[in-house]
Amino acid sequence: MASRLLWASRAASYLRISAFNRGFASVIKDLKYADSHEWVKVDGNSATVGITDHAQDHLGDVVYVELPEVGVAVTQGSGFGAVESVKATSDINSPVSGKVVEVNEVLSESPGLVNSSPYEKGWIIKVELQDAGELNNLMDADKYSKFCEEEDSKH
Amino acid sequence: MIRASISSFGLISTYSIPQQSKKPNPYQSHQKVFSKSNHVLDFTSSKTLEIRKTCECFDLYNELVPYDKAWSWQKNIVREKKALIESNEECPDSLIILQHSPVYTMGTASSEEHLNFDIKDPPFQVFRTERGGEVTYHGPGQLVMYPIINLRNHKMDLHWYLRALEEVVIRVLSSTFSIKASRLEGLTGVWIGDQKLAAMGIRVSQWITYHGLALNVTTDLTPFRWIVPCGIQNRQVGSIKELLRQSQPSNGCRKSNLHHPDDFQLIDITHNSLIKEFSEVFQLEVQHKTNPLFEPSENNI
Repeated sequence: MASRLLWASRAASYLRISAFNRGFASVIKDLKYADSHEWVKVDGNSATVGITDHAQDHLGDVVYVELPEVGVAVTQGSGFGAVESVKATSDINSPVSGKVVEVNEVLSESPGLVNSSPYEKGWIIKVELQDAGELNNLMDADKYSKFCEEEDSKH
Repeated sequence: MIRASISSFGLISTYSIPQQSKKPNPYQSHQKVFSKSNHVLDFTSSKTLEIRKTCECFDLYNELVPYDKAWSWQKNIVREKKALIESNEECPDSLIILQHSPVYTMGTASSEEHLNFDIKDPPFQVFRTERGGEVTYHGPGQLVMYPIINLRNHKMDLHWYLRALEEVVIRVLSSTFSIKASRLEGLTGVWIGDQKLAAMGIRVSQWITYHGLALNVTTDLTPFRWIVPCGIQNRQVGSIKELLRQSQPSNGCRKSNLHHPDDFQLIDITHNSLIKEFSEVFQLEVQHKTNPLFEPSENNI
C-alpha cells in the first residue's frame, strides 16, 4: 500500500496532475478539454480521447462502452460512441475532428477502466487529426477545472 | 378526478398509509431524495402561481403500439430537438405514454444470458436498443412513459433524472393507491419489498433523454419468467393489480367486489396519476396533443 502511494505521488508529479485531493476530480495539465467532459491528448498529428475524471465520477460505475469502428470519421462536438452506467446510456462526443485510427478494445472486457483510470488505461479512441486549429475551441486544464466547479455549484 | 375514483373502490389499508393521504399543501410539503453524491435533491411541490414550461404529451395510453414504431418515433423527436437546439431555438419537452404489444427489449450492455430462451426462437420479438439497462418485457397492461426532455431545461445530471422518474412512480403509488413503494440502493426502479413494479432504462444524447420507464398495472407477468428481468436474480416483478388483489381479505364478506376496479379503470386511474405526478416532479405543464406525429403507416419510419 505504501509503495502504491509512493507510485501515485510520483505519477502525480510526473503527469503534473493538479488538485489531486480526494473529493476533487483530477484534471491533468497539457490536455485539452471539451465542455461535454471529454479530454484530448495531442501528440503531433495524433490525438487520444477519453472522458474526464469529473465525468466518470458523475456517471458512476461504467458497465459498457460503445466503441466506434476504426476508420470512421469523427467531428468535433458530435457523438462517436456511448457509455452506460446506472441504466443510462449516454453519448460520448469527440473533442476533435478526424479519423479513428485505434479504439481501446480492452474496454469491451473491462469498461470499469474508464472509472479507475480515465486518463490512462481508460482512453477510448485515437484519432488522426484533421484540423489542429480546432484545439483552440477547447479548454485548457485551469479553465476546465473552473468550468467543472461552476457546473457542480449549479446543482 | 382521481379522488373521486378512489372513493368508489375504497382504500386498501394493508399498506402503511403515508402521512399525506390528502393533497399535499403546495406551500409546505416537499420530498427530498438523495442523489449519488448525497446532496439532498428537492422535488418541491409547485407553487400555484409559478408559470411552468410546457411539455407536449402524445397520449396513447390505451393503445398497443408496436415497439419498433414507438422507437422510430422517439428517435425522430430527438432528431428534431437536436436541430432546434442547434439553431438556438426553444426546445420544449415531450412525453409519450403508451402500451406496447408484447415484446422483449435489451439495453446496450444486456447479456443474452438473461434470456431463458434461444434468442433465435423467442416467444416474442426481441429488440436490442440503445438504452441503458438489461432485458425487460413490455406488454398489454403496462403503462410505458417515454419522456423526451432536454435536461438543459432541468438538471444536467443523469442520477437526478433517474431518481426523478422513480419519484413520479413512487408518488403515483402513494397518492392513488396508498402503496408505499421504495428505491433500492444500486437497483434502479421502483420496488415494493422484493418486487419491482417499475423498470427504467434511458438513453441520453446531447442531454436529450429518451426511452424511459415501464409501470406494471394489470400486466400479465408470465412473460417475465422467461427472462431474468433487468439481470437481477432472486427478485420478482409485481404489478399494481396483483398487489391490490393480494391485499384483499380472503373471507370475501366485504362488498369488495363492487368497489374493485376493473383492468380498464386501473389503467385509467394510473395513467391520470402518472401525468399529474410527472407534471409535478418535473415542474412542467403537460399539454395534450390531439394529433400525434405518430401515424401508423410505413412511411414514417
